[in-house]
Amino acid sequence: MRFLGRVGVVAALVVLGGAAPAPGVDPAADQKAFAAFFKEKFPDVKPADFGNGPYAVNAAMRKQWEDIMQFPPYDFALDEGKTEFETKFANGKSYADCFANGGIGVRQDYPYFDTKTGQVVTLDLAINQCRTANGEKPLPYQTGKMASLTAYMAETSRDKPFDIKIPDDPRARAAFAEGERYFYTRRGQLNFSCASCHVQGAGQRLRGDILAPALGILAAFPIYRSDWGSMGTIDRRFTSCSAQMRSEPLPPQDPAYRSLEYFLSYMSNGIPITGPGTRP
Amino acid sequence: MKRWIIAAALLGLAGAAQAATQAEAEAALAKATQTETDAGKTGNRWLPAEAALKAAKVALDAKDWDKAATQADQAQALAARAIEQSHEQETAWQDAVIR
Repeated sequence: MRFLGRVGVVAALVVLGGAAPAPGVDPAADQKAFAAFFKEKFPDVKPADFGNGPYAVNAAMRKQWEDIMQFPPYDFALDEGKTEFETKFANGKSYADCFANGGIGVRQDYPYFDTKTGQVVTLDLAINQCRTANGEKPLPYQTGKMASLTAYMAETSRDKPFDIKIPDDPRARAAFAEGERYFYTRRGQLNFSCASCHVQGAGQRLRGDILAPALGILAAFPIYRSDWGSMGTIDRRFTSCSAQMRSEPLPPQDPAYRSLEYFLSYMSNGIPITGPGTRP
Repeated sequence: MKRWIIAAALLGLAGAAQAATQAEAEAALAKATQTETDAGKTGNRWLPAEAALKAAKVALDAKDWDKAATQADQAQALAARAIEQSHEQETAWQDAVIR
């Protein structure tokens, strides 16, 4: 039976188009080691503060951020997101009808693994699934209304810790393994992986930026980024990171990006939601 | 004067020897396109390879065979390296995992 389970994991990975999983994938053990690594690397940072990204590890940036937060640049998105969230669809239903607890305070539970469809479901994907199920067109994933909606929903989850579950399903473990593989795989002309910046380089400067630790890195999304001059979702960040490595980005919500989000969010279990956030 | 004429003629011959023909440019582009397609199959296309390939096509349309061949060769080299990287990383990524 155990053998059949392993075969299932490998088969699911092949379906996902990934390489073979690392031998003995153990999400719980990996999460424990991940958190311990960052605790050792940044001994003065309280675990809950990792959700604040670079501001948790650099005092000068934190001071600037605290000044910026007197007038948070994402406030307009919160207003737009709340209005959009509360606006009924043409059929009279609304986003609240699609989510547990009416969509309030649920951000920390995303992404989750849907055992019916065998897919990782991110909050952004769930929003568009809700729209299409109610006869509305899906929203573009990287900015605009999607960023505003997820900003509002994240704000209703502030201080709730990430609570990502990996069900006892070989496909869920395969999705986690695929996300882990993607995170550590070097790609692009610069030969970088996600880990190059957010594990090995965490807290260091890359030109003008302080690199955020991978632990808790998605807790602040969506973010207002000064570099962008607008709000952006996790998809926007993933695609721009890929381009910065000089690697062709995947389409938003590609299964590999969703697996990456699943992996990173699971690794951040226990870190409170801080989104929406702001970054340089 | 005679020496200058001979030198100029030799330089001209050298230049002619380096100039790419249409057939060479087209062959270089076909090879680079195939390699870039193979890189895509590994899920790892490099943006500079894409840019060089695009530039090669533009140069070919403009009948600038030299530039088309040069850009195609560059795209070919970048795409080949992308494939090597993908193969290396099939197992190498595991060495970076925090355990």
